[in-house]
Amino acid sequence: MISAFRSLAGFALLLCAGLCASLCVAPVMAQPATDDGLHIPLRYERLDNGLRVVLAEDHTVPTATVAVYYGVGYRNEPRGMTGFAHLFEHLFFAGSDNLPEPVFYYYISNMGGIANGSTRLDFTNYFGVVPANALDAYLWAEADRMATPTINLQNFQRERDVVRNEIFVNVINQPYGDWTWIDLPMVANENWHNAHNFYGDLSDLDAATVADARAFFEQYYTPRNAVLVVAGSFDSDDTLATINRFFGDIPAGPDLPDIDVSEPPQRAEKHSVMTDPLATLPGLAIAYHMPERGTPEYFAMILIDQILVRGGNARLRRRLVDDLGYGTAVSGGINLLGNVFNYDGPMLWTASIIHDDAIAPDAVLGEFDTVIEALRQEPVSAETLASARSKFLTEFYSQLDYSTRFGVVDLLASFALFDDDPGRINRIEDGFEQVTPDLILETARTWLRPENRTVLELVPGDGRPVAASARSAEEAGQ
Amino acid sequence: MSIRIFQAALTAASLALLPGLAGAQVSEQPPIGDPVPFELPETTGFTLDNGLEVTFIPFGLAPTVNISLQVRAANIDDGSQTFLADLTGAMLEEGSAGRSSDVIATEIAAMGGALNVGVGRHTTNISTGVLSQYGPDAVALLADLALRPNFDDSEFERVRANLVRDVDVQRAQPGSIATEAYARILFGPDHPYGNTLPGEEQLRGYELSDVQAFYATNYGAGRARLYVAGHFDAAAMEAAIRDAFGAWATGDADAAAGAPASGGPIVQLIDRPGAPQTTIRLGFPAMAIGADDAPAMTVMNALLGGSFTSRLTRNLREDKGYTYSPGSGVTWTMEGGYWTFNADVTAADTAAALRETFGEITRLQSETPPADEADGMRNWLAGIFILQNASTGGLIGQLGQRDLYGLPDDYLDQYVPNILAVSDEDISRMARDYLPLDQMVLVLVGDLAVIGDDVRALPEVAAAEVRE
Repeated sequence: MISAFRSLAGFALLLCAGLCASLCVAPVMAQPATDDGLHIPLRYERLDNGLRVVLAEDHTVPTATVAVYYGVGYRNEPRGMTGFAHLFEHLFFAGSDNLPEPVFYYYISNMGGIANGSTRLDFTNYFGVVPANALDAYLWAEADRMATPTINLQNFQRERDVVRNEIFVNVINQPYGDWTWIDLPMVANENWHNAHNFYGDLSDLDAATVADARAFFEQYYTPRNAVLVVAGSFDSDDTLATINRFFGDIPAGPDLPDIDVSEPPQRAEKHSVMTDPLATLPGLAIAYHMPERGTPEYFAMILIDQILVRGGNARLRRRLVDDLGYGTAVSGGINLLGNVFNYDGPMLWTASIIHDDAIAPDAVLGEFDTVIEALRQEPVSAETLASARSKFLTEFYSQLDYSTRFGVVDLLASFALFDDDPGRINRIEDGFEQVTPDLILETARTWLRPENRTVLELVPGDGRPVAASARSAEEAGQ
Repeated sequence: MSIRIFQAALTAASLALLPGLAGAQVSEQPPIGDPVPFELPETTGFTLDNGLEVTFIPFGLAPTVNISLQVRAANIDDGSQTFLADLTGAMLEEGSAGRSSDVIATEIAAMGGALNVGVGRHTTNISTGVLSQYGPDAVALLADLALRPNFDDSEFERVRANLVRDVDVQRAQPGSIATEAYARILFGPDHPYGNTLPGEEQLRGYELSDVQAFYATNYGAGRARLYVAGHFDAAAMEAAIRDAFGAWATGDADAAAGAPASGGPIVQLIDRPGAPQTTIRLGFPAMAIGADDAPAMTVMNALLGGSFTSRLTRNLREDKGYTYSPGSGVTWTMEGGYWTFNADVTAADTAAALRETFGEITRLQSETPPADEADGMRNWLAGIFILQNASTGGLIGQLGQRDLYGLPDDYLDQYVPNILAVSDEDISRMARDYLPLDQMVLVLVGDLAVIGDDVRALPEVAAAEVRE
């Protein structure tokens, strides 16, 4: 979502941000995933310096995808330094000792590849694809910046200007730019780690220094705190040896700080109103705290998400959009800054609508309640459950068949980083097998309680963007 | 295991070579091996008696199938009724074959998918993606949507209100505001290309009878192509397609013509008080996608502004920090195309950003780019060609574009060789022939109190017709 590089207009490639399912080896083709589940062959190793390495060999397309995930993101960036994880992501493209010029992206591009980075809740990731013949060069460049990135004042100031422009274009000069993915979590959460402005208060960004960047790098961008995934056309033995040669000598890095990101249980409904000066129509968003990742209730919530907001038969859409005509769409989901798998900590399930002026926010909320209450009153039918599961599987499998393989490496890296178990990718379907209509009912009763909810109303303003300085002060005061 | 032993040996060797260096890195760049050829997947096709052309693209490993019906009934056919194609497309989703949209949505969801209708400039795309075993059933539902819409009066007012709401939101976005004004200058008020958004009153004036007339005139098998990509049983899918689409009437032939873009020099300044950034559209007419110069234009675009390593990105973003999102691209139309540079730049840097942009164009026009820079761009375009084509969605998109513009069957096979054959001097020639600054079209959406004076003082702007 927040990326170092934005997709270019008129430029088809980067618009397909998902990737190729070609992770199954040829024999698997005869046995589609529906018969006996997804099976992506993989190899998982840990180097002596702690770097976790996942290799997923597959020769269907002659490219190789490389991803490095560092275990630091918005959630666990240092207090008082809002937006720093993202600012550092930008800085990490500014060169390294043995590759001062052309800097990273240019080096990859000139060999026919692409690369990007993004900052998410619990990690910052760097990922790219190159023709298979250039894999070693990519790994070398990635290792070089893990060891010795260029961090200097000139680059720092420039990237801060670029980030400021990124926030302008995505948030400050954009109606509805941030309300569900920045403002809503800020209201719904209590712990600073979950409740600060992830993009960064401009005053914090202005106050950040090169020394901060150096300290941040030394603490977090270490083999101990990283996962390297390589997927695509290569020989696993050879590539593992290459990885050892390039990454094996980088020092493991210091112990990681022990950070408490937990949220206290919510006891009463919260209600908040915000003004979006550029919006022309009001909006209403709701968010509920989620059950813990990996539990049976978590898998039930993923299917509840399918039932309520995903696809043409989503219940909130059928009611508020198709029956009542309150708005054009109901949006929402789990982890708006990623997907249902790639996070590690407290999470919200969110639904939102931009609605007509003539409809009172209470009326919209009443309809949300009607639909959600139905889930808490009686079990869903077997057909409803089966449909939710089918919709999930189509989304999940489709992610596998993208040419960049970014979807697959994202899951492998997340499961390695958070669970030390990338093989979970092959057991995802099992999690949904245990979900029954009764579990859906019980989960809805426990987690979709009004006391577990935050309501955010968006009110249109006067059409003038809040001046950057005023906005920064306002947010700092929250 | 062996890897540990190997690593230990290597560590010792490194330390011996570079004593005392913490985290000693391998300083030498590894060589890049010989490229591995990439071949597009084999496709097969057939045509029904009514003219519907069908393409099968077996690809990928996921047990899913994507089905896409592309009908040449789109905004180009709007005439003066801007967005009538969008309203028609939206009404297709409101029930078909006498059944409600609710029932249909439930059926397709049980297959894992949803039915989507997307309306573009030249085609309306009716599509779905489902688990493979449901492919034939999904074909039948998709055909109902295209062939037997209910066009129920009771749904119409709500659907029209949805579009009014969408347009309202779009008009609040600086990018949409800029694009609307830009298209109007390039194509004028009398061609659908020049009208990207309808007026609210205009949209509220459309009736269901307008939708029915648009559908009757423009939808038919003779104007449609069906693409099936992914994992599927070809015989079962062919039978389902013949069954579902065989009775579709051929319909009227395409009637709407494209239009060439016209250049300036025209500058339009649109005030957005308080805007922290200025939204820029700068453009010129270009050639058609099938023209001899198109590959050279593609390389020129990548080098100047169309890649992350382009000169404009390097200058405006990587050197100056004026913007996060500079970019450029060629948009193809039925009668040619146009090249556009777009960016959102810090308000105070607007004139400086334009000065740099004009400077980069002028430099490329007068100096042949260095061979290594041009090589990098050609390599990059060849490399991303694989990524553009190695997915079901990408393949449908690429083949759909080839077919829409009537390009040769081997267009995609020849794409990379054509790109690699573009000479360094061709790149400069494209900038000279197609980016004449004295014929530019420039739209700026920003705070004119902040940017106006500086922008008007630029020589390139002073020489143009300035509209405010």
